Amino acid sequence: MMRLWIVSGLMMAALATAQVWLAHGRYAIAHKTTLARHHVENTQAEINRLGLELASLTRPERLRELAKQRLNMAPPLPMQVWRP
Amino acid sequence: MSGSKEIYVRRRLEVIVGLISIGFLILVIRAVDLQWYQADKLQQRAEKQRQRQFAVAAPRGAIKDARGRMLAESIEVPSISAIADEVPSDRVGDLAKAIGMDSARLKRKLVGQHGFTWLARQVDPAKAKRVMALQIPGVRQEMEWRRYHPLGPETGHLLGFVGVDGHGLEGLEYSLDHRLSGRQGRELVIRDARGHALPGGVWLQKPRPGKAAQLYVDATIQSLAYAALVEGVKRQGAKGGSIVVMRPRDGAVLAMANWPSYNPNNFGKFKPSEWRNRAVTDMLEPGSALKPFTIAAALESGHWRTSSRVFCEKGRFRVADYVIHDDHPEGWLNLTGILAKSSNIGAAKLATDIGPKAMYRMFSAVGLGRKTGIGLSGESPGMLLPSNRWGPVETATIAFGQGVAVTPLQLATAFCVLANGGMRVHPKLVKGASVRPPKRVMPEYIADTVRRMLEKAASPDGTGALAVPAGYPVAGKTGTAQKPDGHGGYAKGQFTAVFAGMVPADHPRLVIAVTVDRPQKSIYGGVVAAPIFRNVASAVLPYLGLPPEDSQPSPAWHALQVADHVSGSDGSAAPAGTVPTLFGKSLREVRNMLASRGYQLHVHGSGWVAKQSPSPLSKMPEGGAVEVWLDD
Repeated sequence: MMRLWIVSGLMMAALATAQVWLAHGRYAIAHKTTLARHHVENTQAEINRLGLELASLTRPERLRELAKQRLNMAPPLPMQVWRP
Repeated sequence: MSGSKEIYVRRRLEVIVGLISIGFLILVIRAVDLQWYQADKLQQRAEKQRQRQFAVAAPRGAIKDARGRMLAESIEVPSISAIADEVPSDRVGDLAKAIGMDSARLKRKLVGQHGFTWLARQVDPAKAKRVMALQIPGVRQEMEWRRYHPLGPETGHLLGFVGVDGHGLEGLEYSLDHRLSGRQGRELVIRDARGHALPGGVWLQKPRPGKAAQLYVDATIQSLAYAALVEGVKRQGAKGGSIVVMRPRDGAVLAMANWPSYNPNNFGKFKPSEWRNRAVTDMLEPGSALKPFTIAAALESGHWRTSSRVFCEKGRFRVADYVIHDDHPEGWLNLTGILAKSSNIGAAKLATDIGPKAMYRMFSAVGLGRKTGIGLSGESPGMLLPSNRWGPVETATIAFGQGVAVTPLQLATAFCVLANGGMRVHPKLVKGASVRPPKRVMPEYIADTVRRMLEKAASPDGTGALAVPAGYPVAGKTGTAQKPDGHGGYAKGQFTAVFAGMVPADHPRLVIAVTVDRPQKSIYGGVVAAPIFRNVASAVLPYLGLPPEDSQPSPAWHALQVADHVSGSDGSAAPAGTVPTLFGKSLREVRNMLASRGYQLHVHGSGWVAKQSPSPLSKMPEGGAVEVWLDD
C-alpha cells in the first residue's frame, strides 16, 4: 500500500515537472513567434520604405536634372531616335 | 482536574470551535459570494487581466504607374500620444520643447485632463526618439501609417492625398479609397502573470491589407508633361494651365497635370482651392478648338463637302443683333481653309445652315456636356445647352466654341474620336477597372477627312504651326477664348489659350489637350499652348519608341543595323575592309572610326550623320573615301 502511494506521489511530481517544463516551452515558442512576427512586419516596413526611397531617387524629374547637370546630356535630336 | 477548571477549559474550547465555525461560515459565505453572486463580474476581470486585444494595422495599397513604378506608398512613422493624467505637470515644459509645441497649448491638452490624447501625429522618427528619451511617465509612442507620393507636385492633383486617419481625401486616393484602404485586424492574446503573450492567440478580425492599384499613367510622360506645362505657363506669365495626354486607341490617360500644383506630402500648407484637379473640375470655353466638330457636323449633314466654299464676309458678319469678327479677314474659304485660318464666320455660317439639332448631336456624341466617367471626384460635366435653347446667335457662336464649356479632359476625349476614325473611347485611369466599350459616333471617312484638315491647320499655313515637333506631323487646332466675367459677359483682356491635337497625324499615338489660363505675353492658342504641345510630343514620342518620320530608315537599313547590332553595337566591329555604319553618330565618332580603318572622310553639314556613302558594310579598300551628310 505504502509503495503505491510513493509511486503515485512520484508520478504526480513527474507530471507536475513536465507541466512546468511545457509551460516554459510554450512561453519560449510564444516569444519566438512574437519576435518573428515583428521581424516580418519590420522587414515589410523596410521594403516599403526602400521602395519609396527608390521611387524618390529615380523620379524622372530628378534623373532629367542629373543627366543635364552631371553628365551634360541633352534630349535626343529627331534623327538620333530610331526604333530597332 | 477540578470541575470549575474543566468547565473553563470546555468553555474555551467551545469559544474556539465557535470562532472557527464562524470563520468557516464567513469563508463559506464569501466563497458563495465570489463563486455565485460575483462570478460573472470577477470572471470578466480575470479574463481582462489575462487577455489583451491588439490592433494590427493594415497598410494602404500602393499606387503604381503603367510600368510598375511607385506613385504612392505607405510607411509606418511614429506618433506621440499620452495618458493625460499620468504626465507629471513639472515635465510638460520639457515635453513641449521636445515636441516643438507651445508649452501653454500642451498644458491645456494635459493638465486637468484624463485619458488618452494625441500630442503629435506622424512626426519625424528622430523627433520621436528625442521625446521618448525623456522617459516622461504617461508619454507613449504609437506607430501610424503615413502616405508618401514620391513625385510630389507632379502627381499632386491626379493622386490627391490621404488624411491622418488613413483615408483618401482628394484625387485618386479618394476615388479608390474602398480599394486602397486596408481593414485593421484585432487579435486576442492570452498573457502570463508577467504580461508576456502565450501561444494560442485568436484573430477576432484578420487584418486585410489594401489592394494596390496600377494606373495607365506613365511617370515619365507625367513628368515630361508637367515640366513642359510649367515651362510654358511661366514663359507666358499665365495664371495657370492644364494638360491631358491620352492614348486614343483605348482612351488610356497617360498624363494629367495642372499648374500651379501642390505637394500632396504636405497638403496642409496649401489652400483647399489649390487641391482641385482643374483638368476635370474646371470648365472653360474652348474657342476655335471646337471648330473641327462643327466641320464634322457639316460634313455629316450631307449639305457640305470638303470642296464646298464659304464666303467669310471679309472679317465681319452680323447674326441677329450680334456681330461676329474674324482676326484675319478672309473672303472665300473651303472647309479646310475655315479650319486652317480659324474663321469664326465660316464656322458660324456652317452651323447656321445645318441647324442646332445637327450641331448638338455632334457635340453631344463626342462627349461634350456630360461627365466622361473617368472616376475622379468633382468631375464637371461641362456645359452644353439643349438644342431647343439655341437661337441663331447661340448656334453661330457655339460653332466656334463660345457659349459652350468643356473640361480639358473632355476636349482630349473629343479629339480621340477624330484620332480613332470616329470611334468614341472613354478615358480610363486605372488598370482593371471596367470601362464602357468604344462606340462609333462619327462615320470613319468624316473623322479621317477632318483629321487631314487638322493637319493643314497645324501646317505653316495654319494657326497651329508652332505645335509641330521636328519629324512628327501633327493634326490639331488652336483655340483662343475670352474668359466669362461671371455676370453673363466676357472679362476684358482675360483669355484662355488652347491647343488640342493628335500626333503623328496619320496614325495618332497621342492626343494632347493643353489649356493655359490668362496668358500675359500673347493670348493666342497657337503661340501660347501650341509650343507646350510640341515640347510634350517631341519628348514623349521618342520615349514611346516612335522615330521621327524624316529619319525613318529603310527596311534594308534595318537589316544592316540588326547585323551591326549582332557584330557590335558601335559599328566598329564591322568586318575589316567594309564601311561601318555611321548613322546617328557625331562627327568626332565618325572621324575616329574611319581613321582607325584608314579611310578618308568628306563631310557635309553639321550635327549627326543622316546619310552616308558608300552604304554600310560595302567593301572598300584602305585609303578609300567615305562621304557623310550631317544634319542637326
